[in-house]
Amino acid sequence: MMEDGVRRSEVFRYLGYGNRVPDEETGELAEECIKELLRVSEERICVREFPVTVRDGSLDCGCFQTSSRSLLKNLGGCARVLVMAATLGTGVDRLLLKYGKLFMARAVVMQAAAAALIEEVCDRNFESWRKEYEEKGLYLRPRFSPGYGDFPLSVQKDLLGGLEAGKRLGITLTEGGLMMPSKSVTAVIGISPVKGFCRTEGCEACEKKDCPYRRSLGQGRET
Amino acid sequence: MDIRDELKRRRIFFDGGMGSMLQERGLLPGELPETWNLSHPEAVKEIHLEYLRAGADVVTANTFGANGFKYKKDEGYSLGSIVTAGVSLAKEAVKEAGHGYAALDLGPTGRLLAPCGDLDFEDACKAYKEVVEAGVRAGADLIVIETMGDSYELKAAVLAAKEVSSLPVFATVTLDERGKMLTGGTVETAAALLEGLGADVIGLNCGLGPVQLLPFMKHLRSVSSLPLMVNPNAGLPRSENGRTVYDIDARGFAQAMKAMAECGVSVLGGCCGTTPEHIRRLRETCGPLPLLPVEKKDRTVVSSYGRTVILGERPVIIGERINPTGKPRLKQALKDRDMAYILNMAASQEENGADILDVNVGLPGIDEAAVMTETVRELQSVTDLPLQIDTSDVKAMEQAMRIYNGKPMVNSVNGKKEVMEAVFPLVRKYGGVVVALCLDENGIPETAARRLAVAKKIYETAASYGIEKKDILVDALCMAVSSDKNGAMTTLETVKRVREELGGKTVLGVSNISFGLPMREHINSAFFLLALENGLSAAIINPGLPAMAAAYKSFLVLHGMDENCSGYVEKYGQEEAARKAEQEARKEAAAGMRKNGSQGTGETEGSGVPHGPAALEGDPAETPLKRSIKKGMIQAAETAARNALLSADALTVINREMIPALDEVGKGFEAGTVFLPQLLMSAEAARAAFGIMKEKMTKDGVERENRGTVILATVKGDIHDIGKNIVKVLLENYGFQVMDLGRDVPPEIIAAAAVEGHVPVVGLSALMTTTVPAMEETIRLLREKAPWAKIMVGGAVLTEEYANSIGADAYCKDAMASVNFAVKYVKKI
Repeated sequence: MMEDGVRRSEVFRYLGYGNRVPDEETGELAEECIKELLRVSEERICVREFPVTVRDGSLDCGCFQTSSRSLLKNLGGCARVLVMAATLGTGVDRLLLKYGKLFMARAVVMQAAAAALIEEVCDRNFESWRKEYEEKGLYLRPRFSPGYGDFPLSVQKDLLGGLEAGKRLGITLTEGGLMMPSKSVTAVIGISPVKGFCRTEGCEACEKKDCPYRRSLGQGRET
Repeated sequence: MDIRDELKRRRIFFDGGMGSMLQERGLLPGELPETWNLSHPEAVKEIHLEYLRAGADVVTANTFGANGFKYKKDEGYSLGSIVTAGVSLAKEAVKEAGHGYAALDLGPTGRLLAPCGDLDFEDACKAYKEVVEAGVRAGADLIVIETMGDSYELKAAVLAAKEVSSLPVFATVTLDERGKMLTGGTVETAAALLEGLGADVIGLNCGLGPVQLLPFMKHLRSVSSLPLMVNPNAGLPRSENGRTVYDIDARGFAQAMKAMAECGVSVLGGCCGTTPEHIRRLRETCGPLPLLPVEKKDRTVVSSYGRTVILGERPVIIGERINPTGKPRLKQALKDRDMAYILNMAASQEENGADILDVNVGLPGIDEAAVMTETVRELQSVTDLPLQIDTSDVKAMEQAMRIYNGKPMVNSVNGKKEVMEAVFPLVRKYGGVVVALCLDENGIPETAARRLAVAKKIYETAASYGIEKKDILVDALCMAVSSDKNGAMTTLETVKRVREELGGKTVLGVSNISFGLPMREHINSAFFLLALENGLSAAIINPGLPAMAAAYKSFLVLHGMDENCSGYVEKYGQEEAARKAEQEARKEAAAGMRKNGSQGTGETEGSGVPHGPAALEGDPAETPLKRSIKKGMIQAAETAARNALLSADALTVINREMIPALDEVGKGFEAGTVFLPQLLMSAEAARAAFGIMKEKMTKDGVERENRGTVILATVKGDIHDIGKNIVKVLLENYGFQVMDLGRDVPPEIIAAAAVEGHVPVVGLSALMTTTVPAMEETIRLLREKAPWAKIMVGGAVLTEEYANSIGADAYCKDAMASVNFAVKYVKKI
């Protein structure tokens, strides 16, 4: 199931199934959607390393500043960070737009599959950076994205600017500050000299504890 | 001297990177480089001078990112002063160096255009015009449009440059290693678009190094009839201590660029990571190489944002369905602005193998320009097939050509002076391949020779506008053979002679031939084959008709245009397998009947009421329609709907079978036994069945009761509309008329719509925390302007409590909750 990089369990979690198994028709629909999605998806990713400094409780990550306490906690003890951006490209948005107009069931499943795919792209790259840094005796913290905890979306402009993500990946911001293409992710990854266990990952770090899509402990993550 | 004249005589060299040079001089991360035109003018001028001394002929002003989105009014420096200073510095450097040209530089706006993003095409165009106007006033010698990753934005920039200046336009796009632009364009789509728009020099820049760009430049050379340019990066980037460095030095760069010059690229320069040293070496190495002449290509091509279609090779199919003539259902859809119906027509023609889609929305009493632009805009958001803008309304033609994302096909011009005077300037300005009908003030010529004479006249007049023969598709005119027995032969002769004697390409509206005859498909497919055999380049047909598809597919096989017959096998292989399987099944069934002592003959008669195994599932009293809606089976639902209408009227079927089925699925969803995809598949099946009911009711003159109007919108600042669209599908199935205002909708528009229609229920959606304030503002305005309206809200970040606090009447946690709210509220009034 994992060969094409889309975790089916995640797709169905996004569709609200929790741990339940979908019926055959939905399963088939999901497979069709994933196939079509992979045909148009153009993954692009870029990452840069920056020094990180803390002054008066405010973080300077090289290309952006923030006083987010959750990020500060996540980066505790790190002198450098990786700042990353990834996207599936506009082809996926076109597909979502198309089925949003022609066939809603497909749009909804496609949307879930695309969300699972971009996460997978981020995880896959994270894994290769993790190995790369471990060889140098450095350890990566879990990736932490604007929007997690109190890490505000308002950093996106500077963060994307610091990566030249507009030119290199085609990620732009709308007037309201949302990333386009919609299936795009930015994140900060702390580089620590000590191997430490960090419990908070993306979904679990969220304050919205009653979210129906929340990842329950011990579920979904195949490591 | 105009740089275009100079380019005819010698190779032109551009400068290299600006950003990295500024960084070396202290530009900070996050600082806008263009600000340096005013804050550090000497540094900017010095960089220009270094490039000019190194041998650059053109210096690019430091205006790449200068636009109204980055330099907003009343915030620091004004856009005008930044652009003026940028161009002036380049000009001063040119004057000091004693040679060279100063180019105004236009880069991407930094925003993504609709439909994928939220920037309107005209707003992008306006933003570029503001920069071009300032650049022209400051005395720029040419305009460089570069690093473009989106063809639509590229079109906006070129149009802006052309509309407010007469300066030469050099335009380059950026590709990734797959040869794709960021929004899906290719070398070929970019070339088609730019040649159509009248760019002077085209090419590639940034993204990759000269080694990686070489194959793409060769490809461009093979399709383009314009002088080419390339400004690659200094190889591929890597990050070193947070800084970007490139992997080719000046000498390596110059060597790699030699291959560019040798394959015919006339203008050479550099982009990110290149320095004056790169340009010095480049000029040394490539300066002495001979300039290869530009090769004119006889390529007739139309394009969309991501696809080109070539005319004159394999015959091309233009899908004719989106044309209201003789189609009452489409007429109704156009009057109701029911875009979903039209989009579905497009999707099915695409599935059936259309290469291009004809778009004709001409109906008495509608605003054709408005409907045409809306239809083109919607179509190009769901299909990448190029479109044929089919109208005699010049205003509609121009507006549609303007917002079209590519090089369109235009239908049509003819030999009448007045028509040519109206249409050719549009084709000249926006680009396009235009269909030219062989008729003029004297009517339709009866002989092929006279039709050829009209075609010649059209070619000549077009040439006087700068439109080449390759961009004209002669319509040999297909008249009803029932009214003129020689008509078909005249048409065929015209097709043949236009190709052989005039070297032109042709098109026919094939199905006109059978007008007035029974079983039109027989005549149509036979005539179609004859026309193809006579060299027809494109046919306007319905690709969904089996006989036409069969004629076409067979022709391709027989003419060796279907490699390994793979297209044919793909289309008919499965059909044959299915037919065999059906025959087998019949034989078995017959054998079984014989065994059971019945009188079977091996052939069953009619299908009657299906008794499939599915009927055994669940409630035995459940009708096939109800069952197929519940299971979300679209085709089965359509068939069942037709069957149900044999014994009951539409309203009875809706109320007794369809609504109960939807209710059941909805209750299952609320109880957590049915999930969102199933809910929506049921909704789609129901919608398909409603389509059948609607057809019947239109015929019978009956209307389904309208339960009331509901406005839906995603609030300002938010562009997520999936939740809103889900609600829409369900509400429509329950008989509500949905006024869908779209996404990113300002409060004033929502309030105005509620007031105008005295709409009882408004549904607002917001997905992001950052856009909830816009929702609150919308509710406030609605309370003031439309106090009668009940407001339901939904979206990922909302909760019951949050909804109450911003003054909504109801929080709907999912789509069924919205339906329940609308049903409940409408019952009250």
